[in-house]
Amino acid sequence: MQVVVTGRSQVINSRILLCHECDLLIENQEICETCKVQCPRCGHVLYKQKHNTISRSLAYALTALICFYPAVTQPIMILEMLGLSQQQSLISGSLILLREKYYVVAILTFLSSCLVPLFRLLLLTYVTLSITLNYYHKSLIWSFRLFHEMEEWGMLEVYMLGIIVAVVKLLSMAEIQPGFGLWAYAALLLSSILATTALNPHEVWDALLDRKTREEPC
Amino acid sequence: MVSKTITPALPDKIITGKEAGLVLCAECYKVHRYIPDAEQECRCCGAELYQRKPDSINRTWAFLIASMILYIPVNTMMIMNVAYFGTDEPSTIMGGVILLLQMGSHAVAFVVFVASVLVPLFKMIGIMLILFSLKYKVNMTDRQRIKMFRFIEFIGRWSMLDIFVVSILAALVHITGVAEITAGPAATAFGTVVVLTMLAASSFDTRLLWDYKRKNYKNIELNQEPAAD
Ligand SMILES: [Zn+2]
Ligand SMILES: [Zn+2]
Repeated sequence: MQVVVTGRSQVINSRILLCHECDLLIENQEICETCKVQCPRCGHVLYKQKHNTISRSLAYALTALICFYPAVTQPIMILEMLGLSQQQSLISGSLILLREKYYVVAILTFLSSCLVPLFRLLLLTYVTLSITLNYYHKSLIWSFRLFHEMEEWGMLEVYMLGIIVAVVKLLSMAEIQPGFGLWAYAALLLSSILATTALNPHEVWDALLDRKTREEPC
Repeated sequence: MVSKTITPALPDKIITGKEAGLVLCAECYKVHRYIPDAEQECRCCGAELYQRKPDSINRTWAFLIASMILYIPVNTMMIMNVAYFGTDEPSTIMGGVILLLQMGSHAVAFVVFVASVLVPLFKMIGIMLILFSLKYKVNMTDRQRIKMFRFIEFIGRWSMLDIFVVSILAALVHITGVAEITAGPAATAFGTVVVLTMLAASSFDTRLLWDYKRKNYKNIELNQEPAAD
């Protein structure tokens, strides 16, 4: 394998920093336990030192996972019209679009509002729980990479705005009532936002690679 | 917890990681020594290592042009059809905004207009401007360009709004013969445009914004470039 590794940790060990956004090289940056280091050339945050973000993120991720079940199975909105009532849930929209042969729209909606957020929460729970329990397996490394790579494809917050717009559009046409799924969805949205913002990826990588190096140096 | 923000002084001699023969792992933030002409993998996390995203400019152009072509049917075809007691009422994206205005929901009309018309337009034009400004050395500071790019990256996903609205309405209003909302071909085109513009943004390497500037100063000895901005 043609791999040579020199610098170890970006800040803590080698004291060499490379900016992710402009590739500026910064040497001999002082290490500071409670600081945020910013790139002088482009303003990108190079390093964030935040402790104990992992257990907090785990708590939020578990809350979000619990909310996921009612958010998917319970109706989000109930429409009443001429004595008839119609329910809408998170996946019913995709199913109907699939039946109408709008495959691209159906799959895109299902992925970004349901599957990607669920998968990311599962990965996050797996990684943070393993670190908390001091368990190591090499699948943790790609799990966290996947979690990071899928970030922009999960769109829970955009879907929430979509619900609001849909309600306004229907106001003149019919009577709409919120279902239990709506509250579950709101709770899911809130806790998953908290789970990602609370997490400091630098801390996770430090913890994961620390455990990894016990088996093979990196 | 309050954390202090430190901004190190800009070094007198600006050296990039690429010039120093280093490469940063985009996934796990480890710094490695770069091996030219070899496929390199991060030994810590297994991610592929590259000093600049491969073929970044060409890929960005490809996704951008594809999304611009598809943006024509997005605006001319219907995005959804409302069948209300037997009468069809197809609407385009702009038609939907106008309908909301007529209903008196100005705030929501504004939100939909921003998310489905302004955001995609701004995003496509913005990426194009950045690409052109690199090619033709347009007078724009690096900070302006990077701020614009970060903004474009941030807003892009919000244009999925109309797609979600269509799928919610299609699921909710589904009483045959009375009221039925169905998706239209523009929905497929619009969804594809959103994905394409997101791919265009993610294949662009922001580090190129600074590399180009250094090429302009080719005649000056490399390490004597005056501090940017
Ligand atoms: Zn920078
Ligand atoms: Zn790595």
